[in-house]
Amino acid sequence: MNRQELFDIAHGWFDSKGWIPFPFQIQTWNAFLQGKHGLLNAPTGSGKTYALWIPIMLDYIKKNPNYKKKHTPGLKAIWITPLRALSIEIKQAAERAANDLETGLTVGIRTGDTSTAERSRQKTKMPDLLITTPESLQLMLASKGYDKIFKDCTTMVIDEWHELLGTKRGVQTELGLSRLKAIAPKMRIWGISATIGNLNQALEVLLGPESDTFENSILIKAHINKKIKVISIIPEKMDTYPWRGHMGLHLIDEVAKIIKASRTTLVFTNVRAQCEIWFQALLEKYPEFAGDMAMHHGSISRETRQWVEQAIRDEQLKAVICTSSLDLGVDFAPVETVIQIGGPKGVARFLQRAGRSGHRPGQESVIYFLATHAMELIEASALKKAVKETVVEDRVPYLNSWDVLVQYLVTLAVSDGFYPDTIYKEIKNTFCYQAMTEDNWAWVLNFITKGSQSLEAYDEYKKVEIEEDGRFVVNSKTVALRHRMQMGTIVGDAVMNVKFLGGGYIGSIEEWFVSKLHPGDVFIFAGRKLELYRTKNMEVLVRKASPSAKAQHASWMGGRMTLSAQMSELVRQELYAANTDVMSPELRALLPVFKRQRKESIVPDADEFLIETFKTREGYHTIFYPFEGRFVHEALASLMAYRISLLMPITFSLAYNDYGFELLSDQYVDIQQVLDNNLFIPQYLHHDLQNSLNATEMARRKFRDISVIAGLVFTGYPGKVVKTKHLQSGSQLIFEVFRDYEPDNLLLQQAYRETFEHQLEEGRLILALERIQSHKIRWMPCEKPTPFSFPIITDRLREKLSSETLAERIKKMTANYMK
Amino acid sequence: MTLQIEINNQVFVLHNTGALYWVEKRMLLISDVHLGKISHFRKHGLALPIGAIFKNFSKLDKVIDHFSPEKICFLGDLFHSSLNNEWHLFSDWVNRTELSIILVAGNHDVINPEKYNDLNIKVVSEWVIENFLLIHDPKVRDGLFTFSGHIHPSVRLIGKGRQFLKLSCFFRSSNQMILPAFGEFTGTYVMQPKDDDVVYVVTKEDIIMMKADGK
Repeated sequence: MNRQELFDIAHGWFDSKGWIPFPFQIQTWNAFLQGKHGLLNAPTGSGKTYALWIPIMLDYIKKNPNYKKKHTPGLKAIWITPLRALSIEIKQAAERAANDLETGLTVGIRTGDTSTAERSRQKTKMPDLLITTPESLQLMLASKGYDKIFKDCTTMVIDEWHELLGTKRGVQTELGLSRLKAIAPKMRIWGISATIGNLNQALEVLLGPESDTFENSILIKAHINKKIKVISIIPEKMDTYPWRGHMGLHLIDEVAKIIKASRTTLVFTNVRAQCEIWFQALLEKYPEFAGDMAMHHGSISRETRQWVEQAIRDEQLKAVICTSSLDLGVDFAPVETVIQIGGPKGVARFLQRAGRSGHRPGQESVIYFLATHAMELIEASALKKAVKETVVEDRVPYLNSWDVLVQYLVTLAVSDGFYPDTIYKEIKNTFCYQAMTEDNWAWVLNFITKGSQSLEAYDEYKKVEIEEDGRFVVNSKTVALRHRMQMGTIVGDAVMNVKFLGGGYIGSIEEWFVSKLHPGDVFIFAGRKLELYRTKNMEVLVRKASPSAKAQHASWMGGRMTLSAQMSELVRQELYAANTDVMSPELRALLPVFKRQRKESIVPDADEFLIETFKTREGYHTIFYPFEGRFVHEALASLMAYRISLLMPITFSLAYNDYGFELLSDQYVDIQQVLDNNLFIPQYLHHDLQNSLNATEMARRKFRDISVIAGLVFTGYPGKVVKTKHLQSGSQLIFEVFRDYEPDNLLLQQAYRETFEHQLEEGRLILALERIQSHKIRWMPCEKPTPFSFPIITDRLREKLSSETLAERIKKMTANYMK
Repeated sequence: MTLQIEINNQVFVLHNTGALYWVEKRMLLISDVHLGKISHFRKHGLALPIGAIFKNFSKLDKVIDHFSPEKICFLGDLFHSSLNNEWHLFSDWVNRTELSIILVAGNHDVINPEKYNDLNIKVVSEWVIENFLLIHDPKVRDGLFTFSGHIHPSVRLIGKGRQFLKLSCFFRSSNQMILPAFGEFTGTYVMQPKDDDVVYVVTKEDIIMMKADGK
């Protein structure tokens, strides 16, 4: 069959559905049939599945002209999706086309949810198209004889590649691809990505730099411009607007009004605790929502989440309060309105959420923005501008992630074993490990075989062994089992399953939260009031609490987001407008706040940098306002604290938000001295950051994930009570042991590197310092805290930095005695 | 580096390694060394630094040099888990020190007492000596002052400017003193002292007695 005949089949099918293929779909079919690899830039719900599934089928038809009568068995294509929830939709879409065209092609799913029976069925008879996750793909690489499964595979599709890029799951995918390229040399690789700032790089990471695949590739853009309307929820009276807080419940009536006026509304919150609290508050104030409203976040049981997703599709729900758990995928046609509570911090995320509404072609997406405190209204008007100018962020890919490499190599050793020379070449061709040296490689091999770089006589380390023919292999069954159970690159906080006494799984909450509870305490989780009965074997047993019981909301660590570089820039521009006559409605609503701010201090202009100082009974506060986002401020705070601490022995506690940062001390800080010593210079930045205690603290947190991924920590078997006695320990302790005894360990160094590249964003820091240097410093000594400072100084999550000796500090402290 | 205190008319010296020296008896009390922990992890494929293994022994040598005791009493959890090659390092150390050693066994001490006996180490479940009780798991008994371990006590310190510190400590209540864990690579448990408890925090250089809030 020639190209035209194949295309006729595709067009005929579209015709029969009453559809017309989009230009991007035809372009993709063409490129695919020409044997090209590529990246398709298209949003969810645009027909991207058929852009790739159609040519996969056409390719099969071409090779098997007798396809209607005789089915050729074996895996043809793998479809990787980052979200299990998406796999069902893809399966349905793919099956529909396969059946209509009488191809006889079958579609199967393999994720963490897939039953063991189904898995073993797949082992003997693979479906033609396998939909799976990056983790499940790795697990397949951990099973014996995996090369036979993949050898005839013609296509690999990586869906939502933008979600994986810039994460360690992305690195895991790169590694998996490097292996499959070698096993199935005829395989085409295609990615699908939403719009991000660095699409070209996304293609390069997917295919490997300078590879033949990359040479023979194409980037196709769908050019679907969706109209998005952003509406800020501004109360009539601004004097009640809180200066701080992150719940936004003062606007609950406005939210209820919007929910009532719309078919289905998604209410996005930034963190799970906020999600729980909003759900509860809405139910209490508007009992009529009961039954029409649901909650969706990552810690709620999978069954409940799937039920909620189906109920949205069936238009059974008026409103769903959710977190980023509903950011991705799943096509919810009935969703008419989206409400974003609190700053989304990034343009891309905001656009994605806005895009959850008005899914029908031509329909406008409507998103309401609810600022939780006064200053956040500035973000609202900045977002409006962003949407108009379609500014989007980059996703920065990881480099030299040794933890993921260690895990990958043990995975290969667990299945068929590997020969280092072969694998080295494959890995060197990936984006992540393109700069890996032979020394690095030798280090990693030593690490998995000897657990160190030199051999000691009495040492009993055992993991990967080297066979006589040079093959690296895991022989111990328990090592293999432990490795399979712990594979993956997403490291959450330690969680415990919440179950009813009489059975029935509700979801999971973090261990540290449970540890604060005593039997009989009542907490709110998954929208229910639950009484703790007892905790046993990583399980929290609960029963229903009386509705009148006093309860606390379950809370989760982490999840704090930072303003992206693009958003910070927009926020600054908006703020500077406050000193002009051209003001957005949001800024005008903020006039009373600006007035109060100007009473003590100023609203800075475009060429000014504001510093405020004042004293409260907590001590001496110094607040700097770079407006660069939380992470950059975290680094700047640490840097400034360190540089000041060189001038005098002093201890600071540091706080920061997206607008500025605070140095709080029990001693007076002479700002004139700070200015005279020119402490804002970008020179020696790296050196100074490394010396600030804060960098160590951050690296400690990064190391936690790294140590789990690299298999340095045994986290226990999920959901199983297996004896792991004497093998568990905190990652804190492990960090300290490495810092004290193996400071040159590559995994430890990686923790610091990730801190500088991904957390402290060194590149952004230098730009910020250069900008501040070009500004006029406005130091405002104030009598009282200003509206700008308020959300920062009341932040309880703090870091510290000190140039006093430990003994000096202890002498000024008291032990935390129980009253 | 040390701090001298008196209990029941006996003199004790607290050392910042976590060891405690009983002057009249010329005896060192040391708790929760957890020898073999690193080796145990490594044996199971968790690649912790080998270097950390030796630190426990050099720390032991350091306190012995400092006090020149006649005997050592380990207050339990001397070894972290079942037998591994670290035992050879331990027996070498025992032969080198030539001190009399007593082990008050703890919950982690699962190694056969015969092995200890071969090294001339006496293993007991508790030891009453004059009006003092030496035991692993904290327990108060009438008329006796207890020295114990097991808990790995630490304490949270609070200062102005919202400063916090968590430090390992000796934890003393009216009839008991809980020793900090001596071993490297052992975690701590944060205690909540009451008004009449006394806390001696240990740092790399010092040992400092803490005041209570508002006292």
